[in-house]
Amino acid sequence: MNETEIAKLERLLEKVQRPARYTGGEMNAVRKDWKQVKCTFGFCFADTYEIGMSHLGMKILYYLINQRQDALCERVFMPDADMADLMRLEGVPLFSLESRAALNHFDIVGFTLQYEMSYTNILEMLDLGRIPLFGKDRGESDPIVVAGGPCAFNPEPLAPFIDAFMIGDGEDVMHELIDVIRDGRAQGLPRLDILRNLARLEGVYVPALYTVEYNKDGTLRSFSPNDPAAPAVVRKRVVKDLSAAVYPESIPVPYTEIVHDRMVLEIMRGCTRGCRFCQAGMLYRPVRERSMQRLLYLADQLQQSTGYEEMSLSSLSAGDYTCLPQLITALMARYMDKRVGVSLPSMRIDNIVKDSLIASQQVKKSGLTIAPEAGTQRLRDVINKGVTEEDLKRSVTDAFECGWSSVKLYFMMGLPTETDEDLAGIGHLAKTVVDCYYALPKEKRSKNGVKVTVSASVFVPKPFTPFQWAAQDPIPLVHEKQEKLRQYLKLKNVHFNWHESELSMLEACVSRGDRRIGEVIYRAWKRGCRLDSWYEHFQFDQWMAAFQDCHLDPAFYAHRERPYDELLPWQFVDAGVSMAYLRRENEKALRTETTRDCRHGCNGCGLQGWGVCSFVENPPLKDQPERSALLAD
Amino acid sequence: MKMIVVFEKAPRLRHIGHLDLMRAMQRALRRSGLPLRYSQGFNPHILLNFAAPLSVGMPGKREIMEVPIEGEMSGEAFMEQLSKALPPDLPCLSARPVEDAHPAPMALLTAALYEARFDTAPPDLEKTVRDYLLQPEIPAIRKTKSGEKPCDLKPMIHLLRCEGDALIMALALSEKATCKPDLLLSSLFDFAKCERPRALVTRLQLLGEKDGVLSPLESL
Repeated sequence: MNETEIAKLERLLEKVQRPARYTGGEMNAVRKDWKQVKCTFGFCFADTYEIGMSHLGMKILYYLINQRQDALCERVFMPDADMADLMRLEGVPLFSLESRAALNHFDIVGFTLQYEMSYTNILEMLDLGRIPLFGKDRGESDPIVVAGGPCAFNPEPLAPFIDAFMIGDGEDVMHELIDVIRDGRAQGLPRLDILRNLARLEGVYVPALYTVEYNKDGTLRSFSPNDPAAPAVVRKRVVKDLSAAVYPESIPVPYTEIVHDRMVLEIMRGCTRGCRFCQAGMLYRPVRERSMQRLLYLADQLQQSTGYEEMSLSSLSAGDYTCLPQLITALMARYMDKRVGVSLPSMRIDNIVKDSLIASQQVKKSGLTIAPEAGTQRLRDVINKGVTEEDLKRSVTDAFECGWSSVKLYFMMGLPTETDEDLAGIGHLAKTVVDCYYALPKEKRSKNGVKVTVSASVFVPKPFTPFQWAAQDPIPLVHEKQEKLRQYLKLKNVHFNWHESELSMLEACVSRGDRRIGEVIYRAWKRGCRLDSWYEHFQFDQWMAAFQDCHLDPAFYAHRERPYDELLPWQFVDAGVSMAYLRRENEKALRTETTRDCRHGCNGCGLQGWGVCSFVENPPLKDQPERSALLAD
Repeated sequence: MKMIVVFEKAPRLRHIGHLDLMRAMQRALRRSGLPLRYSQGFNPHILLNFAAPLSVGMPGKREIMEVPIEGEMSGEAFMEQLSKALPPDLPCLSARPVEDAHPAPMALLTAALYEARFDTAPPDLEKTVRDYLLQPEIPAIRKTKSGEKPCDLKPMIHLLRCEGDALIMALALSEKATCKPDLLLSSLFDFAKCERPRALVTRLQLLGEKDGVLSPLESL
């Protein structure tokens, strides 16, 4: 920004809510001289500072890029509505926190795609950053706009706006991407040639180099490259050895409070459980653990560089980490006198080690969250969530004995094959948890009384899951089910939260959308939609109007069961898991058959030939082991 | 012993609230590896006292905090170690060791020196200030937690003068009497019957009394 704009910004900051989120200057924020680097990367998170600063992927890539001598990375967040309006009014461009550079001054602008309902924020940020929204309208001096993250596995809804997508683990491809753009700019290559060079990188998808055709009924007819540089199939990138991969040793420490204000150790990537609704569980395959030695080193570095008083262990299923008790014990011993708390955020009930719960309590008692996901064993078998009522009872009883008094239970409603019995089962489980508390003698349980919070989200079928062909319940049916659940959960000590069915419906449309959904997103943004995931800003009617503008029917995307022979918009991406495996899993689901954890034997998900999965060697068992055997570990 | 630490809260951080600043200092102290002292109790925290919270939106040139430590060390050594752990916009300017029995900075504080820098300097500011100070009493309404109270600003103004386009003010700041710069500026421009121009107010210095004379707080 120039001096006039900075002076304007200073005045804006006196008028907005929570100005501290726009000031930067945090400990460990990296400020480099723009003249000393060859490539500048504006890392955008399409939500506010409080959300974005809690995100691990951004911290990893920020650190990775700033380690390079020839490049710099600065952070850019979505301004809140009051700030965005004032910036537009006063002519202040969207800027980075480090050097307050306008977004269009960066060589590369990169978005991490964590949630489909943040896509209007991407348009808002590009617009505030003075970058043409559509890739086709960008000129030679505009930044190359890239995107990665889990939602990039179906890049099509954002295809009109993003020049290149990185699919898979960002650490693995980022250096190559920066090299190509740095060299292309240095050589004065035309934009299209730089994009072609990007398309030649494994794991990079350049939408402009592909042509899409549709059938009369709206389904995809064909999807193919229109340029020799573009591969027909884009294969995701995979970090083979997590212990050797870059991990931040220092991270910016915010002044203002953010959602997860602590240091995070990613102990493992991927999950072997194979829950059939879970997109992360499929996309982040295979499971890779970070060695304990490396983790302890990183913990020391992070503790010294941040001064944080809390550390959390992160992974899709932290309880599955091979040496979890040893790791927790070691961390406790190290940080007891430094007064650092250790918490496990996403614990699964079937393997919480009571000892580690007790250990965890020594320093910090974090909330206990359990996700049975479905109310009956039958439906849990359908979704392959290997958790039984007995597991749940044992876990919460252990937790109550250790002094916990509040438990959060997460469920989904609208899962394939769901019946009224499954909804009633959610009420039953909530009551069971309360009963477990009162079953303990008074002196063995907390005096605070028990509180059970039940959250029921609306099931959203996602790409690259066995349920990717499934229909989502229409909104009236969701409302009916929510009302039933409310009745089932009118219980003492039980509190019920539910999600906006309208937002979940749009999430279903966008997550399994094709290129035409990009036009809907654009129209919705034009109609004033932004910050959609914030209740106070969500405008469902404008979204519906945007669908009408584009002559598209949301039901086509959300509520329609897709046949196996339909060409899916994301089918050109090789995510590791094969379509054959996903189909097999979907059919097993409908037969209420479970699939074992792949630590107990390879299930042939499609990654066998990749040389990245350490469980491929496990002998493929002929028969399913008994459930009890599954739990024996 | 304890350290009397002088630090700057640079303009970039002026919107950081007092609680956020305290947390940032606590984390900086944890990073520093200094021999800190902790509170007793279930959730021990680092012992740390600020002389006076800064209003949100106001930078501070020479802010003061008191940090109790274990054992003995020189002010220079303390400052060197803490400086490594501080972000660029929160530099440590000096540190002086005192005995535990030394009064807390908050108890010695009586006033503070401020600078108000105007975007555009109001015309005749010098004359306005001169006439303003010639009033025998300067009545104003002070907003407190318990409501609005009439008060006389005059005894709370230790100094008020123009320096170029800026206004320099020394105003009472203690448990007994406080005049915030905001109140003074409103009162001054009400007196001048003109609209209050936008100004960036910086707290330059915290002051205490030594032999009846206002002196930098850190030297007391």
